[in-house]
Amino acid sequence: MDIVIRLLYVFLGLFIVLNWGLLMSAIMRKIGARVAGRYGIPYYQPWIDLIKLYSLRDSITHGVMFYLGPVFRVSGGVGIFLFMPLIFGSSYFSNFSFAGDLVLIMYFQFFGMLGMALGAGEGGHPYSAIGISRGLSQFTTIEVPMTLAVISIAVQYHTLSISEIVAAQQGGIMNWTLFTNPFATAAAMLSLLGAFGHSPFNLVKAPNEIPIGPPTEYHSAFLGVLRTNAAILHVIEAVLFMNLFFGGAGNWFELIIKSFFIYFWSVFVGVVFPRFRIEQSVQWFLKIPLLFGVIAIIIFM
Amino acid sequence: MISPIHIITAALGIAFALGFSGNKNKHFAASMMLAALSFLTFISGQWLYAFYSGSQETIQVFTAGFKPPYSINLQMGYNEAVVTFLINTVGLLSAVYLYKTLFNLGKNALAVYLILIMGLNVIVLTQDIFNLFVFLEVQSIATAGMIVLHKKKHAVASGFKYMIATGIIASFLLLGIVFGYYYTGSLNIVDFVNANMTAFKGGSIAVFLILGAILLELKPFPANGWALDVYQSAKPGIAAIISSASGTAVLYVLFKLSEIGSFDGYQLLANLGIITFIGSNLLGIKQRNAKRLLGYSSVGQIGLLVMIIGFKPVLGEKFMFIAFTILVSHYLAKAGLFWLAGIIKKDNIKKWSDLRQKPFLLVLFGTFVFTLIGFPPFPSFFGKWELIMTLTAKSNMIWVAAVLLGSFFEGVYLFKWLGYAIKGEVSEKKTFKIKINEIVPVAIVGVLTYIIGFYSSSFVEGGSLINYIPLFFIAVLFLVDFLPAFVKNIIAIAGMSYYGYSFLPDLFEKDMLRFIFGAIFIGGGILTLIAGFYAKGKRKGFYPAALIMFAGLGGIIQAENLLQFFFAWELMTLGSYILIIRGKRSMPHGFSYMLFSVAGAYLMLVGFAMTGAQAGISLTALSMLTSHADLIYLLLAIGFMTKTATIGLHIWLPGAHAEAESDVSPMVSAILLKAGVFGLITLFLAMGAENAGTNSVLYVLGWLGAITALVGNLAAAFQEDAKKLLAYSSIGQLGYILFAFTIMTHLGWLTGITYSINHFLFKAILFLAIGAVVLRVKTHKMYEMGGLIQRMPFAFIAVLIGIITLSGVPPLSGFAGKWLFYNSVILKGWYFQGAIVFFAGIIAFLYCFRLIYSVFLGQLKDKHRNVKEISIWFIIPIYIMIIAIMIFSARPELVLQPIGDAIAGFFPSETLHWNDTTASTSLGYWSGYRVMVIIGIMFAILFAWLIVLNSKAKKVKQFNIVYSGERPERPETTHMSHNIYAGYNKALGFLVAPFISQFWNSVSEFVKGSAGYFRRIYTGNGQTYALHIIAYLLIIYLIIF
Repeated sequence: MDIVIRLLYVFLGLFIVLNWGLLMSAIMRKIGARVAGRYGIPYYQPWIDLIKLYSLRDSITHGVMFYLGPVFRVSGGVGIFLFMPLIFGSSYFSNFSFAGDLVLIMYFQFFGMLGMALGAGEGGHPYSAIGISRGLSQFTTIEVPMTLAVISIAVQYHTLSISEIVAAQQGGIMNWTLFTNPFATAAAMLSLLGAFGHSPFNLVKAPNEIPIGPPTEYHSAFLGVLRTNAAILHVIEAVLFMNLFFGGAGNWFELIIKSFFIYFWSVFVGVVFPRFRIEQSVQWFLKIPLLFGVIAIIIFM
Repeated sequence: MISPIHIITAALGIAFALGFSGNKNKHFAASMMLAALSFLTFISGQWLYAFYSGSQETIQVFTAGFKPPYSINLQMGYNEAVVTFLINTVGLLSAVYLYKTLFNLGKNALAVYLILIMGLNVIVLTQDIFNLFVFLEVQSIATAGMIVLHKKKHAVASGFKYMIATGIIASFLLLGIVFGYYYTGSLNIVDFVNANMTAFKGGSIAVFLILGAILLELKPFPANGWALDVYQSAKPGIAAIISSASGTAVLYVLFKLSEIGSFDGYQLLANLGIITFIGSNLLGIKQRNAKRLLGYSSVGQIGLLVMIIGFKPVLGEKFMFIAFTILVSHYLAKAGLFWLAGIIKKDNIKKWSDLRQKPFLLVLFGTFVFTLIGFPPFPSFFGKWELIMTLTAKSNMIWVAAVLLGSFFEGVYLFKWLGYAIKGEVSEKKTFKIKINEIVPVAIVGVLTYIIGFYSSSFVEGGSLINYIPLFFIAVLFLVDFLPAFVKNIIAIAGMSYYGYSFLPDLFEKDMLRFIFGAIFIGGGILTLIAGFYAKGKRKGFYPAALIMFAGLGGIIQAENLLQFFFAWELMTLGSYILIIRGKRSMPHGFSYMLFSVAGAYLMLVGFAMTGAQAGISLTALSMLTSHADLIYLLLAIGFMTKTATIGLHIWLPGAHAEAESDVSPMVSAILLKAGVFGLITLFLAMGAENAGTNSVLYVLGWLGAITALVGNLAAAFQEDAKKLLAYSSIGQLGYILFAFTIMTHLGWLTGITYSINHFLFKAILFLAIGAVVLRVKTHKMYEMGGLIQRMPFAFIAVLIGIITLSGVPPLSGFAGKWLFYNSVILKGWYFQGAIVFFAGIIAFLYCFRLIYSVFLGQLKDKHRNVKEISIWFIIPIYIMIIAIMIFSARPELVLQPIGDAIAGFFPSETLHWNDTTASTSLGYWSGYRVMVIIGIMFAILFAWLIVLNSKAKKVKQFNIVYSGERPERPETTHMSHNIYAGYNKALGFLVAPFISQFWNSVSEFVKGSAGYFRRIYTGNGQTYALHIIAYLLIIYLIIF
């Protein structure tokens, strides 16, 4: 396939994912508001926010790394997008997934995290550093059940290629990993709660009157870029889970439905449970989720 | 040829003549004595030369012209020539050393000294047992006289105790001779030997009394309190004679008489010898008085030699070599050490740091210590090697363990002492003066240790292959140590380059695995040496030590047999110890490094010996084992793991690496640790590659590797000290590497090699960069730094590249390791271990962030506002390695494909396939090149986009941050760094509670405690000591009869 055509499809995919991500975040915030008895934001609020942030006249920087932090962060988000096959069977929407497999995607998440941490670090704000230290701490154990789940399905399907994992789940709902490997799915879906960072695992950004967390010092277009990235990342991480556990998507409609419910799962839990302290959330993933992961592996040993 | 009888006539004659010389001609008298001693030395020397050249046969000389029993016969054979030469040499040197003392004491002292040396000669030469008794008495009295010469209260007391003790011993000997004469009707030793006295009970008692008395003369533990007092209170010159010359002479007597006992007698000797060796060295651990400590060591060494004599029938043709090398090591080192003790005049070993006022003396001191422990290139190294090899070949494993245990105890106190000397505080003013007559003898024996060591190697199987050229080069470098550091650095780099050039191209053709490690050792060595240009002044002793380490590293790559390997291994340990201990606060860490290294080396030695017993000493013998293979592999693996700092054996590493100098840390971390890895892969290959994949030893090691990775990384995350953080990170990284190699598949090994190369590159970068930062900001504590990116952008970029590689984030080469790791773990089926290692890998993010954030980001401190960028000499090697990382990241196939081909011979199944730049396994695929290109382009586009968006962004001052309406006070209170992972510590900190340090501490406390407890038997009371002697004999008697 001509590289130009491929790039055009990549950009098209990115455009869809970005807008779906923005819309979905608005829906989720509205759901949260309704649960709390508020009316909530209008559905177009995320677009307005973005336009406002990108068009602010003043902005400041604390140095080169501060400047580069959001670049790293977005590269991380877009990079995962680039290496992720979106629509099963579509050579147009499989992006650059030929360059690497599931391991590449798992490790590429760190690229953005690390860059963001460094950028926020140069901001010099103590709250940023606290947020990062909490984020990294929590992230270490979030990944443990996730790893076990990934190993389990790699053993199950004998491949680390995401396309092949999706292919193996075709031919009916009962072929989904959700049913063929329920413990791996359970472990992964619990670790997803941490990865998406909603309550009870939202101490990292700790929404509050005082802004706390890595992006404390970011504003204007810097923050706009980060928001853009968040929208992409939410969808693409949901797509990852969709590909691994819920049979992938044969078309965009399926992708939107499935990614919505995967994302909704973390919001659903978030509105029910209050926030954990950091040592609680670190330990939480080493309890039930870890057990599920271990069982998932024992089954396929 | 001058007859040996003239040893007696000359000595007696001059001694008498001295009596007639008046008190006015003191110089004449002293010169006469020196001339006499020189003459004695000459006589034994010429006999030695005659025997050495092969033209001479053993001769008997008869006194008074009659045949025995009417006369005394003296025998001069090869052995006697050697032993008398040793005695006379040390006699002469000690006399030179004591010249002033003897001169002041006058003619009587001179005469007694001469008689002492003569007595020692005669007890070696004589073949008449009564004559032996007489001259033992002569030398005893003379020795007592010399002890008392010190004219201090405790010297007189100890001389008196010495008289009591030797008196009792002499009566036992005399009784034995009487009994023996009754049964044999002769006083000739040959007749005693031939009479087979042990056949009947009375004869046995004669043998028992005679051998018992000689043994007691050798001061066996625990009936040796009197001897320790003597060593402590005699003049060091005299103590040197007692330890070196008397010890040698009486040992020879024991050797000569040992044949009158039966085989059981030999066994008993061996038992008593080893008890002395272990017991005495154990008690030495608590000792702080230098001369008394040397006494313990002397007693121990002589105990070892008694054991060796006891093993004479077992050791067979190796006996002479083993006994000679160990004896001569003891002889030279102990004489040298006692003389040094006299020069420095410090009783407490902690005060020996004053030796550093004259670095030359420190080198000699180190030489003697390493000689005693048995490090290469000293003779005892080869002696111990042969001893352990032969004992093992004859299935005496318990003895092997006992010998090594005793040696280890000896190492404990000697290295502690050496540590004090190298690192203790030096007195401001000069505390001692060097006199030429005192220093020359020490220097002579010091040089002799090297020469004899060099010649010893050719008598050992495989020893002739040892490459001494690097050592000669180092010796030359040592001689020009007075040059400025940069000159020596150029010489060292040139030497290393030539050394690498001499063998690396050849290895590249023949053996890719070895080449990779060779390139890390030598190439890494050159790069880290470049950083050494930062150093001003002379940097005394640094270059010889560094090059000894690199010569050792090169040696293990080139080794073709086990001896070469072990030689190089020990050399590397020696060099790295000296390097490590150079750091400001590294004394205790260097000490524990050495203890773990020595213990590990002993386990390796046992493993090698067991291998040698079955399959010879070629390096390939490891793969031809027929019995106890798992045990051997385990021993070797533990030995190697002391260097890779696997959990349980890791406690030395953090301090040793963190406290070392800035350019030494990367040497010992990025490079030296790979020696353990190289040892392990050599071992694993020998285990039979793929067939060994199910081996339980490997399975256990795999788990150990995984746990090491977890604990190492977790501990690293909680460090406040930047270099300690990196050191703990090394423990973790080496855990990954161990784990990867134990997988024992094609992919597993590629993972291991990728990790090894990566760890070498990023750890060298990180340690160099952080080390250079530390040189600028003068602190290791991360929370005292901060914001340094503004002052040191080059260092920041280096650390950034380093941590990206370390954490395995694509697109840099760290990811290659992670990807291979996933594939190999899943294909191998080690899911849980793999998950632990993966978990450890994520924890690495914690410390990576902490390192770069706390040092370079956050708030710049006021006192660092004018700090300069790190030295250019650090930047050069760092950026060379960054280029290497970039190439390895973009084109991993350039390195991994040839290695893959090379190890495909060992692991033919489940290999990694390369299709252009894409690697694939049966599980997955990945293209380093494409990932790099895609990410690069994307990053550039996004960067450009943000520049467009934020072109108007203004740079603001440090404190211009959103601070909730308040104002930040100071950088110190705004830089969030101290205890940054408090929450994580609360959650998982219990995993890194220092159980293992506590365990080793309690082991050490137990050993010290028991040493302190048993030491109480030495009451200092002469009566008690007499009782000890009698009880000792009585107990042995009860055991035998």
